[in-house]
Amino acid sequence: MSTNLNGFIIADPNKCIGCKVCEVACSVAHVDKEAITAGVIDAPLITRLYLVKTATLTMPIQCRHCEDAPCAQVCPVGAITQTKGKIIIDEAGCIGCKTCLMACPFGAIDFVPVYKNGEVVIQNGLQMETADGLMEKEMVVASKCDLCVDHYGGPACVVACPEQALKMIVPKLEKKKRNVDAAISMLESVKRFI
Amino acid sequence: MSEKIISVIGLDANPVIQIDQELCTGCLRCVAVCPVDAIEGAKGQPQTIRQDLCVACGQCVQICSAYASIFDEGIAPREQKMAERGLLSSVKEPLFAAYNSGDGLKVKAALSDSDLFTMVQCAPAVRVAIAEEFGLPLGSLTPGKMAAALRKLGFDRVYDTNFAADVTIMEEGSELIQRVTTGGTLPMFTSCCPAWVKYVEQTYPELLAHLSSCKSPQQMAGVLFKTYGAQVDKVAPEKIFSVSVMPCTCKKFECDRPEMNDSGYRDVDVVITTRELAQLIKDAGIDFLDLAEGKFDKALGNYTGAGTIFGVTGGVMEAALRTGYELITKEAIPDLNLNFVRGGEGIRKASVKVGDLTLKVAMVSGLKNAKVIMEQIKAGTADYHFVEVMCCPVGCVSGGGQPKVLLPSDKPTSYANRTASTYVHDANLPLRKSHDNPAVQKLYKAFLGEPLGHESHHLLHTQYVSRK
Repeated sequence: MSTNLNGFIIADPNKCIGCKVCEVACSVAHVDKEAITAGVIDAPLITRLYLVKTATLTMPIQCRHCEDAPCAQVCPVGAITQTKGKIIIDEAGCIGCKTCLMACPFGAIDFVPVYKNGEVVIQNGLQMETADGLMEKEMVVASKCDLCVDHYGGPACVVACPEQALKMIVPKLEKKKRNVDAAISMLESVKRFI
Repeated sequence: MSEKIISVIGLDANPVIQIDQELCTGCLRCVAVCPVDAIEGAKGQPQTIRQDLCVACGQCVQICSAYASIFDEGIAPREQKMAERGLLSSVKEPLFAAYNSGDGLKVKAALSDSDLFTMVQCAPAVRVAIAEEFGLPLGSLTPGKMAAALRKLGFDRVYDTNFAADVTIMEEGSELIQRVTTGGTLPMFTSCCPAWVKYVEQTYPELLAHLSSCKSPQQMAGVLFKTYGAQVDKVAPEKIFSVSVMPCTCKKFECDRPEMNDSGYRDVDVVITTRELAQLIKDAGIDFLDLAEGKFDKALGNYTGAGTIFGVTGGVMEAALRTGYELITKEAIPDLNLNFVRGGEGIRKASVKVGDLTLKVAMVSGLKNAKVIMEQIKAGTADYHFVEVMCCPVGCVSGGGQPKVLLPSDKPTSYANRTASTYVHDANLPLRKSHDNPAVQKLYKAFLGEPLGHESHHLLHTQYVSRK
C-alpha cells in the first residue's frame, strides 16, 4: 500500500474576505482556451470550489481528495478513480446520477453543463419536454476540484487568492511539521519541570 | 475673458459606475482601490457608491471579482442584468458586481442609421489593449487592426483622439509658456483626465485656477469633428454622430458635461470603452485577428508619437516638453526620449533646463497621490511650474474601461506591456513632436489661426465649476 496521502486545498476562514477570486481563477483554469481578460470568456464561469458565506464566516469549500473516497465507492459506473495522488472524475464516463453528490460529506461535487468553443454540449439521445415541444437536453456531468492537473504553476486558486487564504496541504509534510512544532513546544515546557 | 455659464451636473442623475447589490459580497477590495473613498457599506455586505464623491474612474470595475454564477439562485436573470447595464445581447462574458453603464447599443443603432454621418475617435491607450479581448498577449499593439475594425463596423470616418492630443499640446504648451512668462497662476495642472478634473472641482475648488483651461483631447476632437471636420468632409454638422472609444469610464461623464457643446451641438455623442468596442466587433461577426492593417482618415486622424504617449503616466508632460522646448529655445530638443518623466504609480519630480528657464515639473499617477501636491500648493511650499495628474494607476493604459484582467497576478504584466507598447509605438512613428504634425499645422492655418487665438479659445478651452 502507498503511504503517500493525497494532497488537498484548504482555506483559512480568518483570512478569506469572500472576493471570489478563487472561483474566477478556478473557472478560468478549466476553460478550453487561455483567458486573461474577461472579454475572452464566452461561456459561464464554472467553478470547482464554492465560496460559503454565512452570518459568521466566509470561506471556499472544495474536495479533500479522501483516501477512501466515498464518491468513488458509490459511483455505479466506476467513473471516479485515484490518479497520481488525486481523486479524479472521468467526465466522459459520468452518467449524472448524483450518487457521488449524496455521498460527499463536503458538498464538493456539483453537476454542471459542459461548454466547448463557447457553445453548450448537447446530449446524444435524451430529449426534454418543454412548452415549445421536445428539445435537446444539455449534457450535465459531475465536477469537482482536480488540483489543477493541467494547470501550469500549481492550483490556480492558491496562486490567485489576494489574501493568501488558500493553501495546498501535503499531509505527510504537514504531519512532520506538526511533530517538529510539538517537539519544540515540548522542549519549552519540559524545561520548566526539569 | 468671457465667462460661460456652466451648470453643475453631477453623477447622481446618470451614474456611470454602479455596484450590483445582488452580486456584491462585501469583500471591500474595491474600497481599497477607490481613490476618493466613494464606496460605502459594511464588510461582508453589498457596497454602494456615493455618486457625489465618485470620479467614475472605474478601478472598482477592474478589480471586482464577484461574478454572477449560473448556479446563483434568487438573482435576476442574466438578460435582465445585461439590459440594466446597457450591454449588447450578444455579450457572453461574465457579469461582475461593479460595472459601468454601457453604450454599445446606441453606437450600433447609429451605425445602422443611414441618415447619420458617423465619425469615431480612439484614445491612445485603446490600441495597446483591445487585442487582449481577442486572445492576443497583454499589451499587443494593434492600431492598424483597430482602424480596420472601425471601418468594417461602418464608421464613415475613422479619426483619432491622438490627433487631438497633438492639438492639445499646441494649446496647453502655449498656455504654459504664457503662464510662466506673464505671471499666471502656477503650477498649471493638466486637464486631460476627467476624473482628476472632477476631483479638483469637488475637493479643491479653491485651486481651480491651476487647471489648464484646455479641454481634454476627447472633447477637442469632438468639437473639431462637428466644425472643422464638417467643413472638410462637406457634411452638415447636425448629421454627424460622433463616437469616442476610451480606456476610461469617466469619459462618459465628461461628454455629458453640459458645457461640452461649443460646436453648437453635443460635441461627443457617445463614449464607449475599449471593452465595449471589442463587444461591438464580436457582435458584428468581425474576425479581429484576421483583419488586414487599416489606416486612419487623414484630416483628423494623423498623429505623432507625442500624441500616442498621452496614454501613459508622464506622457502629456513628455509631449509638452518636446514641443515647449522647441517653442522656447527655437532649437531641436537633444533627445526625444525623456526618460526622467517616465515611470509608474506615485509622484515623480524633475527639473528641465529649457533655455534660460529651469522648468520644475511633477507627474502624479494614481489620484490618491494628488493630495500631497494639493496640500503643498495650499501651504505655499510647491515650486512646480507644471503638474501632470492621471487618476488611474499608471495612466490611461490602466483605465477603468480597459480589458478587465481577471486575475490579480496578471495585472502588473498588463500595465507593463501596455506601457511598453505605447513607447514602442511612439519610437516607431515617423514624427514624434506634436508641432511637426502636418495635419495639425493645416488645422491652424486653415481653420483655427493661432494656438490660444480667438477660435481656439472658443472651441478648445473650457471652464470649471466648484462642486463643493
